[in-house]
Amino acid sequence: MKVLIYGLVTGIFFGFLLQKGRVLRYDKQLGALRLMDMTIVKFMLSTVLVGMVGIYLLKDMGLIKLSIKSTNLGGNIIGGLLFGAGWGLLGYCPGTSAGALGEGRWDALWGIIGMLVGAAIFAEVYPTLKTTVLTWGNLGEITLPQVLGLSHWIIVAAMIVAALVLFWWFEKKGL
Amino acid sequence: MKYRADVGWSPYLAGALSGLVLVLSVLIAGKYFGASTSFVRSAGMIEGLLSPDRVAQLAYFKSETPKIDWQWMFVFGIFLGSLISSVTSASFRWQALPDMWKNRFGSSISRRAIVAFLGAAVAMFGARLAGG
Repeated sequence: MKVLIYGLVTGIFFGFLLQKGRVLRYDKQLGALRLMDMTIVKFMLSTVLVGMVGIYLLKDMGLIKLSIKSTNLGGNIIGGLLFGAGWGLLGYCPGTSAGALGEGRWDALWGIIGMLVGAAIFAEVYPTLKTTVLTWGNLGEITLPQVLGLSHWIIVAAMIVAALVLFWWFEKKGL
Repeated sequence: MKYRADVGWSPYLAGALSGLVLVLSVLIAGKYFGASTSFVRSAGMIEGLLSPDRVAQLAYFKSETPKIDWQWMFVFGIFLGSLISSVTSASFRWQALPDMWKNRFGSSISRRAIVAFLGAAVAMFGARLAGG
């Protein structure tokens, strides 16, 4: 029960901030995909930068565990391409479709229904995928610091610098 | 006035604060953010009403049990948080067609419904395949 309340409260904070950042809208999501409006990229990268520093700090203090998804090239690449095409048509991702509905953009409902159907279809074909696509290029639970053999703080610093340069360029171009 | 109300916060600020919420969530509840697994669980719950035998047969629903968990409540919370934020800042808008869509594809609601539905099904299938 407590864990459900944590989920609800965390979601409310996140949904509130997503709405304040104006990233829930179709026009913003398509704006990013059409390279016209980088609001979403600014929001996401800012979240990643703060999250990255905080998570690695807590990990170094031994307070938390990382949750690493295993890398599977077949699933990641084919799935990523499909996700991108579908995202471009819908204009919302799974989390933002719930948030868009909260903002009154009720075309997100078509998206929510479609995503439920897509999930059901995936469950049907999962046994076949598991023995085919999902066996291609299994690299396990790898991370960039581990693959490059560098301290995670070097990667974190490099990511921060790269993101700040990108932000500076966005602002200069008025994106 | 409408324009002033619709400016929102800097995406850098709102994004950075979201990063803080993520870090606190991992520290306090041990939970990282995600959304798409909840659609699998919901699909399983709905299918369970129609055909419980089918759900029991599918291996995918054994690993992603059809039930309400932390992430499901998190996704529901995103809906509520967005509702609270938009209603209290006069930026809530009951809208069937996004402006950009309407300008390009016209005012047919069914056209938007079909494209959004198909896009969503493909996007969710891809997200599950990619593991995200």
